[in-house]
Amino acid sequence: MPMFVLVVNDVQHHVRASSDMPLLWALRDLLHLTGTKYGCGIGVCGACTVHESGIAVRSCQIPLSATSGKRYTTIEGLSAEGNHPCQRAWLEEDVSQCGYCQAGMIMTAAALIQRKPNLSDAEIDAAMSDHVCRCGTFQRLRRAIRRAAREVSKT
Amino acid sequence: MSSTRRAFLKTSTLVATSLVIGMELPESLAGKVASAFEPNAYISISPDNIVRLWITRSEMGQGVRTTLTMMLAEELEANWSNIRLEQATPGGRFKDIRLRTSGSGSTVGTYDALRKAGATAREMLIAAAAENWNVPASACRAERGTVVHVATGRKLTYGKLAAAAARQRVPDNPPLKNPKDFRIIGKPLKRIDGHGIVTGQAVYGIDVHVPGMLYAVMARCPFVGGKVASFDATKALAVRGVRHVAPVKSGLATGVAVVADHTWAAMKGRDALKVEWDQGPNADFDSDHFLTQMQDQLAQPQDGYFVRDDGDARKVLGSAAKKLEATYELPFQAHAPLETMNCVADVRKDSCEIWAPTQCPEVVQSETAKMLALAEDSVKVHITLLGGGFGRRLIADYAHEAVEVSRAIGKPVQMLWTRSDDMRCGFFHPCDVEHIAGGSDVRGRPIAWVQRSIGSDLSVVPYPTEEQKKNPRGYFNEGLPWGSFDNPYNFPNLKADFIPLNSPVPTGPWRAVFYPSPVFARESFLDEMAHAAEKDPLEFRLHLLEPGDVLKVGDAKIDRSRLIRVLRVAAEKAGWKRPLPQTGDRLWGRGGACNVYDEDCYIAQVAEVSVGAEANDVRVHRIVCAVDCGLVVNPLGLEGQAESGIIWGLSATLSGKIDFKKGAAVQSSFTDFEVLRMDQAPAIETHIVASDHPPGGFGETAVPPVAPAVVNAIFAATGKRIRRLPVSLQEATCSGCSINATARSQA
Repeated sequence: MPMFVLVVNDVQHHVRASSDMPLLWALRDLLHLTGTKYGCGIGVCGACTVHESGIAVRSCQIPLSATSGKRYTTIEGLSAEGNHPCQRAWLEEDVSQCGYCQAGMIMTAAALIQRKPNLSDAEIDAAMSDHVCRCGTFQRLRRAIRRAAREVSKT
Repeated sequence: MSSTRRAFLKTSTLVATSLVIGMELPESLAGKVASAFEPNAYISISPDNIVRLWITRSEMGQGVRTTLTMMLAEELEANWSNIRLEQATPGGRFKDIRLRTSGSGSTVGTYDALRKAGATAREMLIAAAAENWNVPASACRAERGTVVHVATGRKLTYGKLAAAAARQRVPDNPPLKNPKDFRIIGKPLKRIDGHGIVTGQAVYGIDVHVPGMLYAVMARCPFVGGKVASFDATKALAVRGVRHVAPVKSGLATGVAVVADHTWAAMKGRDALKVEWDQGPNADFDSDHFLTQMQDQLAQPQDGYFVRDDGDARKVLGSAAKKLEATYELPFQAHAPLETMNCVADVRKDSCEIWAPTQCPEVVQSETAKMLALAEDSVKVHITLLGGGFGRRLIADYAHEAVEVSRAIGKPVQMLWTRSDDMRCGFFHPCDVEHIAGGSDVRGRPIAWVQRSIGSDLSVVPYPTEEQKKNPRGYFNEGLPWGSFDNPYNFPNLKADFIPLNSPVPTGPWRAVFYPSPVFARESFLDEMAHAAEKDPLEFRLHLLEPGDVLKVGDAKIDRSRLIRVLRVAAEKAGWKRPLPQTGDRLWGRGGACNVYDEDCYIAQVAEVSVGAEANDVRVHRIVCAVDCGLVVNPLGLEGQAESGIIWGLSATLSGKIDFKKGAAVQSSFTDFEVLRMDQAPAIETHIVASDHPPGGFGETAVPPVAPAVVNAIFAATGKRIRRLPVSLQEATCSGCSINATARSQA
């Protein structure tokens, strides 16, 4: 079985696995980084979103064969103390309900506001509508993303 | 409060009993904190001032970890920042305490017991301090984790008092706070366990990993009632990482499990597995055809099961000056929580350990004990966080599967359902047909209401039981169908019956259980009657609730004045009479609906929608929600549940359904079972009506009124009456109804 060098949260891991194994399962079952969630396996729910060199991607759609030379960030590595502006805004607005989709949501939102802090509501809605939240936390999500974006644009 | 409806989801041993007072150490602390003060099962205070509180319900997003903590901490006068949470597990010191999480009953079912538990501890801490200072207990008071001697200002922390408190007499009836002195209950508090969620540290069922654990997925028979005819494991076993292939029979859908070193290998093994299915007796089952069979039952001349019979509704209807009737249809629904079903089981020779995201840990324990012929005490069940529950996790099928596989292979195993498994092979909210006929007198006053529900038993619970069915008034006594049985409106002649027509599809509790279908029909039909009488639908409802008296039906008491109040508040906040903005090519409308959930939660909603020219272009812009559910423990939590319930209801209104063709569910993921996304989510305003009544439950209350409020708004906008969900404007007609498609609320 081939060996892959996975760079996740600034740590280099050597994993031996089949080349078609999605990054999602390598993170969860091999590295035990379980903050990244399985929701659909076909890239439509967003629960497995991570950053690939700063861009939000669906880890269930990335085979290990496509990970070489990339740097990945998961929810566990988004901030050292769990205090990324999105994480703080999420707590401040009390967004999470069951919470299962939220890591994916936070990763998408974090990449989004990093790229463009002065987002319109329509842009927020458009970006976040690729995520499924069965608890329907959308109203507070909107508020949290606006709050985090305000903070990022100040700094 | 007495409620047969809420009670139906209990099992015989799960009735919450009076507080267990004892000194048994919890397993997790045994030997570690010898001098901890543990006046009861819920509380442990150690010398380092840490207050451990045991949460006796499953957290699935409804906020129980926060709500239950608030109730305990209020009476305990705990210092919020010193609180640590523990999840209660079945058996041991929780043997006689209900852990099952269902029926919006967590707040209702724990409020008294948790307050008493907190007050017990507080009084014992005060007694210990008084003893230490040699002053009367009445000269001391508890305050944020300390006891204070009021006259001198001396203080002792709970940690310092723990050992002495443990020696105090346990009071039988500790005084409870006057609600006006509450400093935690009633305050909007953010959830206590949020940090773990936003940092990826929170542990859901799927995140559990125990040493030596293997990963399993299953090829599941897609045909309802079908089974495995034969399978060939050769190719599956050839997939690298696959360790075992084993048939599984203990779940809802039988199948073949593939067990591997990790999930991906198990999935690939499952793809490689060759299985021949015996399609079973339902290979022709088709949900559209079933719907036709249900409609055929509407004309059945004999009464169905008794639901309610006031006055002489049939006769009065027959002689009514004006008569209206309509039929409403609702499809099968999936729960589709984002965390698919999963469970870790470790079956050993004389014991079993289980980690499950479950709403029914007692059932997991007792049924596993039966499966393995073990004593219940030998089955340890850990409850993880739940990535959504919605009733799906009230059934332990997926835990049984994990147990069966672990037993077969002799190793700990995680059983994981794929999204497609979850969508197609679980159980479903039953489809339903409702027919209502209403009559008015010559002056246009409504005088008769006849509602017939064609629905299904909940086959996986099962409910009603065969015993309950033997009682001719059984459906009435058990309160099925909800929403028809407890119709709050004042019709002097009201008849409701229920005809069960069971399909082979496994059916069970879904968010708001039986309420959504009868309430959809009832609140839609009231709107139809109001328009037919050329009355304002809100005024029409208010008139039917006058004089605001208390309706007694079965063992339920419905206070119409509370429903009137929430209707008025919702209408006022929504600006019911204000014209809507008319934008370009869209038609706008407002619609309302209300409901009483389980007699103690009163809710009204007003929806604002617009309809465009494109096919099925319906947008819900705003929903105003007014609620009286008694004392609110956490207003912030309630608001979140209102938003959540409304979005849940909107998904089912606008897009959600499961079809069955050729004996199998058609939809398989979020691509074809569409749930509401953020760009479709309306602005939601929740208004809490202050109330002195005891707390009601609110996890499900916001769901039932959404669909009728939206279709009533669509009617106001377009004159099109939607009587089948999910909404399809192309299908909307006015047949079977005497109204013309002319009504507009664009005054």
